[in-house]
Amino acid sequence: MATQFSASVSMQTTCLATTRISFEKPALISNSGRTNLSFNLRRSIPTRRLSVSCAAKQETVDKVSEIVKKQLSLANDQKVTAATKFAELGADSLDTVEIVMGLEEEFNIQMAEEKAQKITTVEQAAELIEELMQEKK
Amino acid sequence: MAAPFTLRKIGVPPNSANLTEARRRVFDFFRAACRSIPTIMDIYNLQDVVAPSQLRFAISAQIRNNSHITDPKVIDLLLFKGMEELTDIVDHAKQRHHIIGQYVVGEGLIQNTGNKDQGRTDFLKNFYTSNYF
Repeated sequence: MATQFSASVSMQTTCLATTRISFEKPALISNSGRTNLSFNLRRSIPTRRLSVSCAAKQETVDKVSEIVKKQLSLANDQKVTAATKFAELGADSLDTVEIVMGLEEEFNIQMAEEKAQKITTVEQAAELIEELMQEKK
Repeated sequence: MAAPFTLRKIGVPPNSANLTEARRRVFDFFRAACRSIPTIMDIYNLQDVVAPSQLRFAISAQIRNNSHITDPKVIDLLLFKGMEELTDIVDHAKQRHHIIGQYVVGEGLIQNTGNKDQGRTDFLKNFYTSNYF
């Protein structure tokens, strides 16, 4: 757990560092030849991936909230934010497992049981989903 | 697409020691059932009839029906029967009208409905037991 946290922190710091560099590169691309172009491309794509996986994306969180609302039959105007716990919305443990199953079907992933047991908030679910989608790619 | 889920048929495992392990087995069974839903929809051509979320809800409703039970051995037996049902369905040992009648529409199997003896009065119950009431 601690290593994951430190890794995510280090990823965040590299995000900030590399986004600054990537803005300077395009000028070089237009001037230089092919070799430099490929070099820049190889440098920019990994940084883009790193910047995305820093925290759960808003659209993932939105999709997760949508599925949760449908599963628990909540009203449309009920506030479901990233930090909402499933238990607060009136879900028991079977409901949580069902929500995880719904997410598996929606995003076409398979969650390991131990990780799925620990999901209590919308944010955790979104992060786990993104982790699995990255691994699939 | 992730590797399709296949139901592995293992022998009867020993009884669960306590309620927590029985709970874990219930969730494992539920996960296995939900992961078999795409196969089931494919086998019985239920694509236009029902959505996977409806089937998930049907399975969870049946589990919730027995959620008041606290004896681990009884839970094990119910899981055994549930697993048997799931295996039959995945093996195509049932037919489409069975699935639709039991899980999609209607009240399901007669034997699974609750006790119909609970009428408005206890008249018949007393009638069956004795003449004087």
